[in-house]
Amino acid sequence: MKAWSIRPALDADLASIMALEHECFPEDAWSEENMHFELLAHHTAYLVAVRDEKIIGYAGLSKVPSSDQGDVQTIAVSPAARGLGLGRALMDALIAEAGRLHAREIFLEVRADNPVAQSLYFALGFEHIDTRKNYYQPAGIDAWVMRLTLPQRSVGREPVVLGIESTCDETGVGIVRGTTLLANVISSSMDEHARFGGVVPEIAARAHLEALKPTLDKALAEANLSLQDIDAIAVANGPGLGGAVMVGVAAAKALAVATGKPIYAVNHLVGHVGVDILERGEVETPTVALLVSGGHTSLLLVRDLLDEVELLGETIDDAAGEAFDKVARVLGLKYPGGPEIDRAAAGGNPNAIKFPRGLTQAKDMEKHRYDFSFSGLKTAVARWVEVAETKAEAGEGEALNIADVAASFREAVADVLVSKAVKACLENNVPRLLLGGGVVANARLRELAKERCEAAGIELRIPALSLCTDNGAMIAALGAQLVMAGRRPSSLSFGADSTLPVTTVHTL
Amino acid sequence: MGHVLAIDTSSGTSVAVLKDGIALAEIEIADTRSHTESIGDAINDALIQAGIKPNQIRAVAVGRGPAPFTGLRVGIAAAIMFAEGAGAKLFGLVSLDAIAKQEFETRAAGSELDTGSEVGAGRSDEGSGKLSQPLLVTSDARRSEHYWALYSGLDRYGVPICIEGPAVNRPADIAESLAARGIEVQTTSRVISARAIGALFEAQAAAGMLSHDVTALYLRNPDAVEPKNLRTFGKKVSS
Repeated sequence: MKAWSIRPALDADLASIMALEHECFPEDAWSEENMHFELLAHHTAYLVAVRDEKIIGYAGLSKVPSSDQGDVQTIAVSPAARGLGLGRALMDALIAEAGRLHAREIFLEVRADNPVAQSLYFALGFEHIDTRKNYYQPAGIDAWVMRLTLPQRSVGREPVVLGIESTCDETGVGIVRGTTLLANVISSSMDEHARFGGVVPEIAARAHLEALKPTLDKALAEANLSLQDIDAIAVANGPGLGGAVMVGVAAAKALAVATGKPIYAVNHLVGHVGVDILERGEVETPTVALLVSGGHTSLLLVRDLLDEVELLGETIDDAAGEAFDKVARVLGLKYPGGPEIDRAAAGGNPNAIKFPRGLTQAKDMEKHRYDFSFSGLKTAVARWVEVAETKAEAGEGEALNIADVAASFREAVADVLVSKAVKACLENNVPRLLLGGGVVANARLRELAKERCEAAGIELRIPALSLCTDNGAMIAALGAQLVMAGRRPSSLSFGADSTLPVTTVHTL
Repeated sequence: MGHVLAIDTSSGTSVAVLKDGIALAEIEIADTRSHTESIGDAINDALIQAGIKPNQIRAVAVGRGPAPFTGLRVGIAAAIMFAEGAGAKLFGLVSLDAIAKQEFETRAAGSELDTGSEVGAGRSDEGSGKLSQPLLVTSDARRSEHYWALYSGLDRYGVPICIEGPAVNRPADIAESLAARGIEVQTTSRVISARAIGALFEAQAAAGMLSHDVTALYLRNPDAVEPKNLRTFGKKVSS
C-alpha cells in the first residue's frame, strides 16, 4: 500500500503549504505572497505529497523555458513524516519533472550543516560544486551548491515532436517520435492558385490561416495523441513566402506558450534533407541534396545535418517547378504544370528539339558552376511554339507536336538538374545524392537521376513522394534531431525569414 | 467566466489578460511590422504579469480586423492555436466594434480624449452612451484607404450598435457618401487595444452575442490577376 501520493500543487493547497513552511523553516519561511507567486508562476513546477488528504511535504522547481537549467527552489517534509523516504520520492518526482521540461542540469542549495539532506542529494547523483559563505541568515550558515547532470533525452524515451510547415502553398502538420513518423497531414491551397497559373502569396497565406486548426486536429488524430503527449514544437521559419511563413510561426509560438513546450525554429530546406531520417533512421553524411520545387532549386552539400550545411548553388531566376508551370501555360495545359507535362510528354521524343541547358557552358563554370537558370529555357520553348504555330498557319510546316515539345523541355530540365547534382557529388568526393521537393514527382527526373547515379557509382536516395513535397513531418523530424542532440530551444522572438540561408539550420 | 486572453494585431501587437472585465495585464507593441517576432513573448509576458498559467485561460477573444492582411493573420493564428493548446474557447470580434465601444464610453464619461475627432462636433448625451450624431470609426487600411464602420450608440449591455460597415473606401468617398445622405457624424481613429477587445467580449457575453467566427476581415481580394494571354512572357517573334 502506498503511504502517500504525489501530485502537482494547486492554488487551494496554499494554506496547508504555508503551515508546513512555517513548521519546517521557522527562521526564514517564505511569505504567503511569495509562495503564492511561486505556485502560480509559469516557469515553476510545484509538487505536493498527500497522505490521508493532508499535505505532508512539498517541493518546487524553477525552469525558465529559454534555459536548460532547472533550480530546486524548496523541499519540505513534515516532521511527522520524516525517515520514510518521502524526501527522496519528492526529489525523484521533481527530477522527472525537470527532465520533462527539457532541463539538462538541476541546481540546488543545501545548508552546509545538514548532512542528512546532503547524503540524499549525493545518492541521487548530485555533486558539490561550490560553497556560498554565510548564505543562510540570520544564523550565517554556508550553503553548498550542488548540481545534477541529467542523462540526455535520447538515452531515455524518444521525444515526440510536432512540426508545422507553411512556407509556400501547403499547410503541413507532422508528428514524429524520435525518428519514427506518427502523422503527416497536408492541406494544400493548390487548387485556389490554378486560375492564376502559379502560387499567389496572399492566397497561400489566407489559406494557411483557414487550414491550421483542421490540419492540426487531423494530425493529432492520425497519431492518436493529444497535445499533452507532445514534448516539443518545431516550425519552419524560412526560407519561403514571408506572409505564409508568418502564419505558421505565430501559430507555433502560441501553441508553445499555451502548452509550455519548447519551440525549435528550423530551416525548411534542411527539413527536406532531414526527412530521410524517417525512412532510414538517419541521414548518411556527407551527402549532396538536390531540392527542386515550385519555389526552390537548390544544390546543398550536407556534411552534418545540424551543423554543416552549405549551399553549393541555386537558381538565379525561376525555380524548376515554376518553369514547368509556365511552359504548361504556353502549351495550353493546366496548373500545376509538372504532372501535366509528364502526361503530355508520354510518347514524345525527348531529343526532337534541342532546348538550351542554362548555365552549363564553359564560361558559366567559374561563377555559376552549381547554379541553375530556367528563364531562358522557358522563353526558348515559348518562341519555338510561336514560330511552329505561325509556320503551321501559313501552311509551311507540320502542326505543333505537343508531345515532342513537352518531352524535349522536360529532358532539358532533368538533364541540367541531374548533371549538376552528379557533378557536385563527384567534385566534392561525396558518394551520395538525395532528392527532395515536389518536382521529384517528375518521372523523368527520377529515371535520369537513377541512370546517371548508377553510372557514376553514387548512391541515390529518393524519399517517398509524400515526404518529398512540403510537409510538417520533415520539420518535426529535424526538430526531433535538435531535441535529441540536446540543443537549446529557440527563444520566442525569432521572426519569419523569407531568405533564411541554409547555413542557419536552427534559429535561436 | 474566468480569465480571458484578448489579442488584437490589426494595428500593432496588443495582448491583454482580463478577469471579470478588469485588465490584469496588458502588453502593447505599437510597431506595425513586428507582429511575428512579438506575439509569442507578448502572450507569455501577459500571462506572467497576470500571474496565471495558460490552462487558467477560459476564453480567447481575438480581433478579426478589418486590417491590412499580414499582421492581422498573426494574431488570429496565435489565438486559434493558443485556444487549442490551453483548452480554451475561441471567440472572434470585430476590432472596429471594440473601438466604438471604448469611444462611446469615453465620451459618455465626459472625457476630453476624443483626439481623433475630424468631422462634426456633436455633443454626447451625458451618461447614456449615446451621441446626438452617429460615430464613424476609421482605421488605416493603407493604399490611401480607410476601414470604417458607423455606429448609433450602445445597447443596454454596452454592445455598440453598428448601422453601416465595416467596409473599406477612400476617406473622401466615405465623407461624400455620408454628406450626400445628409448624415453628420463624429469620427474617431482611436487605435485598437486588446483591452478594448476584452471589454467588448464581456459585453457581448452578457448580451449572448458571442461568435466563434474568427475569419479575418480583409475586405479586399488578394492582389492577383489572372493571366490574360497565356503566352505573354515570351518576346514577340518576328518571323
